Amino acid sequence: MSEAKSMKPLFYIILLNAVGAALISISGGSRSAEALVLTGAICVVSIICYTVVRFAGFGDPYLFLIISMLGSVGGIMQLRIRTAYGVRQLKWFLLGTACYFLAMLVFLAMRRLLPKLAPLYVGLSVALYAATLIFGRTSHGSRNWIILGGENGLSIQPSELIRIFFVLTLAAIFTSPPAKKGKKKKTDAEKAPRPRLGPNAVRLLSASAVTAVNLGFLLLQREWGIALLFFATYFFFIYVYGASRGYLLLNAAAAVGVGALGLKYMGHIQTRVEAWLDPFADASGKGYQITQSLFAIGEGGFGGRGIGEGSVYFIPEVHSDFIFSAICEEMGILGGFAIVMLYFVLTYRGLKIALACTNRFNKAVAFGLSLMLGLQSFIIIGGVTKMIPLTGITLPFISYGGSSMLTTFAAYGILQAISAIKEETTDEL
Amino acid sequence: MGEILSKILTYIFVIIIYLFIYSIIRMIYFDIRAMNRKKSGNLADAYLKLINLRRDLDFNIDESYELEDDEIIGRGAKCTLRLPDKYLSVRHCRIYKADGSFFIEDLDSTNGTFLNGDELGDEAVELIDGDKISIGRLNFIFVMPKGVAE
Repeated sequence: MSEAKSMKPLFYIILLNAVGAALISISGGSRSAEALVLTGAICVVSIICYTVVRFAGFGDPYLFLIISMLGSVGGIMQLRIRTAYGVRQLKWFLLGTACYFLAMLVFLAMRRLLPKLAPLYVGLSVALYAATLIFGRTSHGSRNWIILGGENGLSIQPSELIRIFFVLTLAAIFTSPPAKKGKKKKTDAEKAPRPRLGPNAVRLLSASAVTAVNLGFLLLQREWGIALLFFATYFFFIYVYGASRGYLLLNAAAAVGVGALGLKYMGHIQTRVEAWLDPFADASGKGYQITQSLFAIGEGGFGGRGIGEGSVYFIPEVHSDFIFSAICEEMGILGGFAIVMLYFVLTYRGLKIALACTNRFNKAVAFGLSLMLGLQSFIIIGGVTKMIPLTGITLPFISYGGSSMLTTFAAYGILQAISAIKEETTDEL
Repeated sequence: MGEILSKILTYIFVIIIYLFIYSIIRMIYFDIRAMNRKKSGNLADAYLKLINLRRDLDFNIDESYELEDDEIIGRGAKCTLRLPDKYLSVRHCRIYKADGSFFIEDLDSTNGTFLNGDELGDEAVELIDGDKISIGRLNFIFVMPKGVAE
């Protein structure tokens, strides 16, 4: 393909930022100039990063392009909702880019060591959970924030970082040495699982144990969204790595059991499920969030009301969990579908990296990370559109939030590193 | 007025996202085509095996390429077998199957097509198992394991 064609996506990113900046400036008088400078900065950073990735041979060139696109849309939506959020969001984006390349370089440097560190990942995760439980602060029914440096200090959400450790742990467990038949299994990992006993049983059980510990802590913190995400990731992992049908059923039954207990004894889970089944029964109370979200999506119709023209302030938590509803209101189903497509393509790229990868541990990490982030988009988009019960997690790269932004960037940085390693090893052959 | 303007700009905004997705998917499409070619198994009668060391080349290339009934080899996007060597012409040569045998033909390439060290002229030449094909910086061995297919 000619150079001109491979630069085309980059051109669209710049164009999008320009149109977005124009929209922001006509929709409200008091938009800060800083915001325009930052959208410009995003364009410049995208160009530089794309050029570096493409011509320095760091593997997959599409990953960062798609992320830039999502980040640009997110930044413009945040600017439109509140200038201060937008400015901070764009700064997080720039910082996230640094995280991306840092994670990539660290992964490349430590790639021989990483598969052996499973106990360390578990240890760090447990330490982070413990810190959250002891120093944490409760917001919206979940105890999941740590505030550093006083009232206006930096607030971080450790569970966002634990996502990466969780995937690394599972990958390390499922590719651990004992079973020498693993080589064969890797190549047909995408095929149907075969029932397998013996060496694999140990790995399945240790994966289940690790997941149980993670879920236990998450449920203590009442982070049902992330707990669901972890469980789904784990479930796909055991499916791919050859758990028998019985074991899969057992896990599904356990999950349903925990869910049912939660439904019976936990007030806010009941609320969520009731609001999901029939939000209009109590539209001003329990169902308020979801009904406002649905009204906004309905109001948007096909083409949306125009960026800056919607009444997005009626949607609660519009800048974080419900950003997708705001996008649907202002850009219509057309825009919402475009966002879903972007996540689709992004997840596809991640899985393709996993398929093309030759190292077993890297393959498992690539699979886990792309799966997890794909599931995350599904869970939150499904939640705000009332397809599944709403659980509060962020929409990657679009929702407001530093922890989420930086760790998601780091996760994709690891994917980028894996795609770069792939080329290197095939060259050695 | 402002409302209409913002609505129009929003449409443009969303259309840009779709154009972006289209351009990415287009690039991915070429990727998949290249990957299928590599992975499809023993179905093809013949394939080209690269004999250069891949680390000596500064672009991505596969170890082997299966040959279908009619292949245009070159650097251009419209070739059925696209190789990013800059010493190749946009349409460099053609390998096709006729009466159960494969033939190679040069397509007026700038740097020529060589079969076992001899430059090809205007006429197509029949390939036999083990022939060495050199184009640009690339050297391939033509492999047809089953002999002449019926």
